[in-house]
Amino acid sequence: MRLILIGMNHKTAPLEIRERLQLFCGDQDRPLPELMRLTEIREALYLATCNRVEVLARITDNGEAVEGLKSFIYRRGNLGREEMEKCLYLYRDLEAVRHLFRVASSLDSMVMGEPQILGQLKDAYRMAVDCRTTGVLLNRLSHHAFQVAKRVRTETGIAGNAVSVSYAAVELAKKIFGDLKGRSILLIGAGEMSELAARHLLRQGVAGILVANRTYIRAEAMAAEFRGSPVAFERFPEVLSEVDIVIASTGAPGYIMNAEMVTAALRRRRNRPLFLIDIAVPRDIDPAAGEIDNVYLYNIDHLQDVVDANREGRRVEALKAEEIITEEVAAFERWFNELEVVPTIVALRDKVEGIMKGELEKSESWIRNLDEQERSRVEILASSIVNKILHDPMTGLKEESREKDALPFVAAVRRLFKL
Amino acid sequence: MIGIVLFKTALAVYLVSAVVYGISLWVRRVLTARFATGLMVAALAIHTSSFASRWLAEGLSPVVGLHDALSFFAWVMAAVYLALQLKTKTRVLGAFVSPVICLIMVVASVELGGTVGAPDMLKGSLVTLHVMLSVTGEALFALASCAGLMYLIQDSLLKRKKAGSMIRLFPSLSDLDRINNLCLLWGFPLLTLGVLAGSLWARIVWGSHWQWDSKQVWTLLAWFLYAFLLHQRLAMGWRGRKAALGSLIVLAILVVLLIFGKLFLQTVHNFV
Repeated sequence: MRLILIGMNHKTAPLEIRERLQLFCGDQDRPLPELMRLTEIREALYLATCNRVEVLARITDNGEAVEGLKSFIYRRGNLGREEMEKCLYLYRDLEAVRHLFRVASSLDSMVMGEPQILGQLKDAYRMAVDCRTTGVLLNRLSHHAFQVAKRVRTETGIAGNAVSVSYAAVELAKKIFGDLKGRSILLIGAGEMSELAARHLLRQGVAGILVANRTYIRAEAMAAEFRGSPVAFERFPEVLSEVDIVIASTGAPGYIMNAEMVTAALRRRRNRPLFLIDIAVPRDIDPAAGEIDNVYLYNIDHLQDVVDANREGRRVEALKAEEIITEEVAAFERWFNELEVVPTIVALRDKVEGIMKGELEKSESWIRNLDEQERSRVEILASSIVNKILHDPMTGLKEESREKDALPFVAAVRRLFKL
Repeated sequence: MIGIVLFKTALAVYLVSAVVYGISLWVRRVLTARFATGLMVAALAIHTSSFASRWLAEGLSPVVGLHDALSFFAWVMAAVYLALQLKTKTRVLGAFVSPVICLIMVVASVELGGTVGAPDMLKGSLVTLHVMLSVTGEALFALASCAGLMYLIQDSLLKRKKAGSMIRLFPSLSDLDRINNLCLLWGFPLLTLGVLAGSLWARIVWGSHWQWDSKQVWTLLAWFLYAFLLHQRLAMGWRGRKAALGSLIVLAILVVLLIFGKLFLQTVHNFV
């Protein structure tokens, strides 16, 4: 196949080395012309993300191409040969195909199942197409990889479940309220994680957001950021009856919300469910509040448990994904083997047609005497004999190549016909 | 008779649908439940045509006798559940509804062809109305309880923070609560009208609206229990866990009383 994939990822190379290799994620087109200047390389794709740098190439000669690619990487990394050698992996032919499929399906990602990698791969491919560094093999392989990624996504649950704490909160909210449209949130205190959760919830169509903070100015600033409204800190027990989801993350040393407050609020809200998310350490909400009917209290550890369970679920789904990839690698191999016989078929056809044309020209002298209709009949006769003779060997070659390695057959045909 | 063949086919497809629903719980996939829903739609269509063929063959009043009443009960449950499916994302709820439907269909099939010739006193549109309304009302209550049971399970999973695929598979609490609420809200007036129609008919055939018959007492008790439940929901703001638990307890009381009555009590209302 003469396909080679060389690169490093978050598992094989420490951050410092990956950094050196790709100074910023956006410079994917510049290495391509440089790569194509290597004489043994026919097609090339360069993928660089924050977690990986990889070169996929179709080559003409194994030994020299590998050396060329390696020295290209050393040059770009500007690092010692030994240091780099340890971080590199090298896959050939079907192993390279499998690796590409795994990368596209996000099985090789740091957070397994994350969706960005497919987009990054598509960008890398577009860049290569723009630089005209892809040909039959890489075009087909790239499109096949996109399809595999799609298939893995729809047929397995690998991307199904939240694997971040803030997103786990959103999923739980959906299990309590169904649709989140029209619900409202109360943010108590500030913090990166609570703001992230609030942002996720807003994206789900949450209608209103209230912000309470010990320092009112801070609350006003945050409210402005989320297009919500500030609430005086002392008033937060009152607004508990108006909101559906509470995210608490203050730096208070003890509980700021107790069970009595929640019970009172629930009476005022006629038992409509209330989802309390306590991501503060030490905790903000008395655990007793979680015992009340229609109140669901999750603290940071509970959310982390959800995330861990989901991670475990993804691992199980990954096994199914590997099976799909094995199937698809086999499908690609079938296509490729067919591809290998194509030049032979073309050459065979050209040769026999050349013979036919030559013979017709030799007989030019008597053919000239025939009238228009008779002349075309002779030509049709000649070409149909040629087609009938070629039909069996050509389909035979294609069929052989579908089953197994076609090379012996290709070699035999080439020798017999002196192609 | 083609009606019986269709009924038995419907029962078979309901059973397959229930099994597939069970599998969807086992493998924890909504996709499987979607397939089961399709089967249930097919079963409902066959079931409907069995009623249609009965109606064409025997004329009006297709619901006389225990077999018909039970079969109609199952039909209402399936039809209403599938209709609610369109509005809410509660596909997996079918895993709780379909076994109940199957159970009722199986009991109905035991009584198959039991009372072919109904007594003369059971002929009349008022009787048909009485049976259809009461059965629909009770089927809705059964559906409310299925949703209630699922609510309680999902609620306890969420409360105990049972992180895992079960929470994700089960419908949201709000959808389940809505179904419980809707079924109570529609079931109660239907049952009320059914009881009224029955008492009007009783006046005609027995000469009085009320006979202190065990079946009548039982029905009145059911009516009061559901009235209480509805009152708590509408006026006292019961929702969620309490409402779900309430509908389950009421159904349990009624089922126990029904079996007890069937075994030990005499009744003049011995047709259904």
